[in-house]
Amino acid sequence: MKRRNFLKTSALASSSLLVPRFLQGNNFGKRQASRTGKILVVVQLSGGNDGLNTIVPFEDDRYFQLRPQLSIPKKEVLRVSDDLGFNPALEALRGVFEEGLMTVVNNVGYPNPDRSHFRSMDIWHTASDSQEYLSNGWIGRYLDSACGGCPPYHALEMDSALSLAMKGERHSGFAMNNPGQLKRASKNPFLESIASQSHEEENLAYLYKTMIDTQSSADYLLKKSKTHPSKVNYPQTNFAKDLKQTAELITADCDTKIYYVNLTGFDTHANQKGRQGRLLKQYAEAMKAFVKDLQQNNLLDETLIMTFSEFGRRAAQNASGGTDHGTANNVFFIGGQLQRPGFFNAGPNLGNLDKNDLRYEVDFRSIYATILDDWLEADASKILGRSFEGLKIV
Amino acid sequence: MTSASKIKHLYWRAGFGLSPKEWATKQNWSLNKAIEQLFTQAQDSKAITTPDFLGSRSNEQLKKLGKGELRKLKKIGQENVRDLNVAWIERMSQSKESPLLERICLFWHGHFACELKNPILAARQMNTLRQHGLGRFRDLLQAMAKDVAMIRYLNNQQNKKRKPNENFAREVMELFSIGRGHYSEKDVKEAARAFTGWSSDLRGDFVFRKQQHDFESKTFMGQKGTFNGDEIIDILLEQEATASFICRKIYSYFVNEKIDENRVRELSRDFYESDYDIGKLLRQIFYSDWFYAPQNVGTKIKSPIDLVAGIMGSLEVKFTTQKSLLFAQRALGQILFKPPNVAGWPGGKSWIDNSTLLLRLNLVAYLYRAAEVAFNDKDLEAKNPGRKMQKLEAQTNFNPLIALFDQQEEAAIFMGLKNYFLQANSKLTQTQVDAFAVKGNKEDYIKSVALQIMSLPEYQMC
Repeated sequence: MKRRNFLKTSALASSSLLVPRFLQGNNFGKRQASRTGKILVVVQLSGGNDGLNTIVPFEDDRYFQLRPQLSIPKKEVLRVSDDLGFNPALEALRGVFEEGLMTVVNNVGYPNPDRSHFRSMDIWHTASDSQEYLSNGWIGRYLDSACGGCPPYHALEMDSALSLAMKGERHSGFAMNNPGQLKRASKNPFLESIASQSHEEENLAYLYKTMIDTQSSADYLLKKSKTHPSKVNYPQTNFAKDLKQTAELITADCDTKIYYVNLTGFDTHANQKGRQGRLLKQYAEAMKAFVKDLQQNNLLDETLIMTFSEFGRRAAQNASGGTDHGTANNVFFIGGQLQRPGFFNAGPNLGNLDKNDLRYEVDFRSIYATILDDWLEADASKILGRSFEGLKIV
Repeated sequence: MTSASKIKHLYWRAGFGLSPKEWATKQNWSLNKAIEQLFTQAQDSKAITTPDFLGSRSNEQLKKLGKGELRKLKKIGQENVRDLNVAWIERMSQSKESPLLERICLFWHGHFACELKNPILAARQMNTLRQHGLGRFRDLLQAMAKDVAMIRYLNNQQNKKRKPNENFAREVMELFSIGRGHYSEKDVKEAARAFTGWSSDLRGDFVFRKQQHDFESKTFMGQKGTFNGDEIIDILLEQEATASFICRKIYSYFVNEKIDENRVRELSRDFYESDYDIGKLLRQIFYSDWFYAPQNVGTKIKSPIDLVAGIMGSLEVKFTTQKSLLFAQRALGQILFKPPNVAGWPGGKSWIDNSTLLLRLNLVAYLYRAAEVAFNDKDLEAKNPGRKMQKLEAQTNFNPLIALFDQQEEAAIFMGLKNYFLQANSKLTQTQVDAFAVKGNKEDYIKSVALQIMSLPEYQMC
């Protein structure tokens, strides 16, 4: 890490920590819930977000040489530090960053990177090595280790299907698009009438348990989702809707510790600029509203939001105004309790590429170790199968 | 257990269940006859037709194709692969065709898990599995080592004398033959050298590239020689651990995930002594008493393909669009030709989470109503953002089922349907069903009871 960067971030940290901006201006009502315990929100950007055009090394000539048409012009970059800036589509997040509520970790990846979406996403989900195939995910294994008596929605994905990350050996997360839809799909008077029958055979008992859990969770989540309607204006996008729903459940003191939200469409092989811009804007605006919502309820300090994508993209642009599948990428942390807001480390070294790809510097499992050990108070080395040093940022 | 029940169990594990018509006939057969017919049908079954996707284009012509033409070809290829997918699951659902062959192919497809995007390579791999799936494991493994889709999937194209790529050699041992713990990293390196130069051309034919092959001496599992890939496989098959690895997998798939170690040891010894005769191994299982023991019947969670093929067979489901059938596979978590990775589908409880279970329980009702289902697919949306409702466009036909029961009284209908549809022990009573059944005429009664029974968690078991 460059010393200059470090000074920059610590200066940023101290000033913002002294006077949180939300206390200066709008001081909204106190939170109504009495939540204890920390919350994790995982945001997945699917398709491989182009990290190099997200966090732009605008002082690096090589960046502009690698991307003659695709680079973000210097004057458009949002300069949040001396040498790394935001894609202009992230305007809405600038305030969050400048208030010290965001840490950007650059060059996150893993050895022997795989360029298949599916495979690389599986690697991220299972926290495996590149050559290793695991059938359960890091959050699922956290549930296995932490959840004797957790409710089924202890880890909740805002989606119709459950991601591999959320599947454990014995415990899995819970998936729903929205509570209303879940309630409609799980409503079945016939099955409800026979649900209480006991079954001895293990697999059948498991099916019955999952069915009953789903029915009761649907009721609980529907009720919780109506308890504390958000007072913040969210954009009209699906992603924002998911975050709003997350905020409403958090503020209603829903018994969920981990939320999982997806934003997809980042596979920008062609005409990247417009498309990535639209997606990043969706991301930033929804996230801004989400942060504001949590702040107004005094819950941002208890929330950690981690955003990742399965890989970054090639350093150089391709011939179709896009980029192809690459390797290392940036990961964002957002929350009220970050120990090292700003840039955790320097941006990629474009003079030292590995066959035209960015080199990773931080293993993504160190990110998980940070979250598991320092935020969820779990045993990361047990869940990840070996020890990864945390980043000490939360 | 009655002979009829045994036949039903056999057909669920060795096939994909029985259609109402087949059930009407076969419930009176002897078990012996049913087993033998499965093997005879498999023998008589024809190879599937390889789509003529590249036409008469030569390798040279293919090399010169422009971007636009390639894109067009790719699109046709995807459509052809979809056709193959649909045709396969339709074959599975037809219990009068060759259920055992389709079943063993699905097993091997999960064992030699390989994503298939090119229809020629897909059809060839299917035909390899069909040809050797019930034959000798040695022939199967050696054919798969020369299978072009597999070679490409596991980067053996890049495995060259000067720069060996170990991916294929590692999986041959770890996943396809002997399993972890029975070879060293050195063995992987040496085996990789033996497979150097095993490659393919643009038309998808296997090519041995002599100049890329390492003809030097190798030391593999304590033996020394100028081994090629086939000889490496021979050495692997000399190890009893290979017979045991394959038998465990077969037992866990066909009999029970909970392994009975003594039984598997017995099966492995016989399998090894038979020189890896897969058909013989399966016969041994199907003819055993323990295969029909209560702990092995109705205790397996159906895979999504088992479930869909079974429903298709029972209700003569016709998916009016291919998209609907593929959507069902995707949403349930198992797409043919698209295993999650080279380790295949983990199976068992891993099929089940709250969302897949809900869809499973509702599936027959959705198909019956051709309903819209809310499902967003992150993989698809990575390319085309936006969430869409998916429609399950399908037609069902209850008539064969109705024909089976319409001469009977309600109590007998209930018992008959329960017996036909469920393998697992169910405490379901007629009173419970009747509380929601449509009464009045027999057709409606049969339909509504069938729909209820097929919505039970018990129906997810086989």
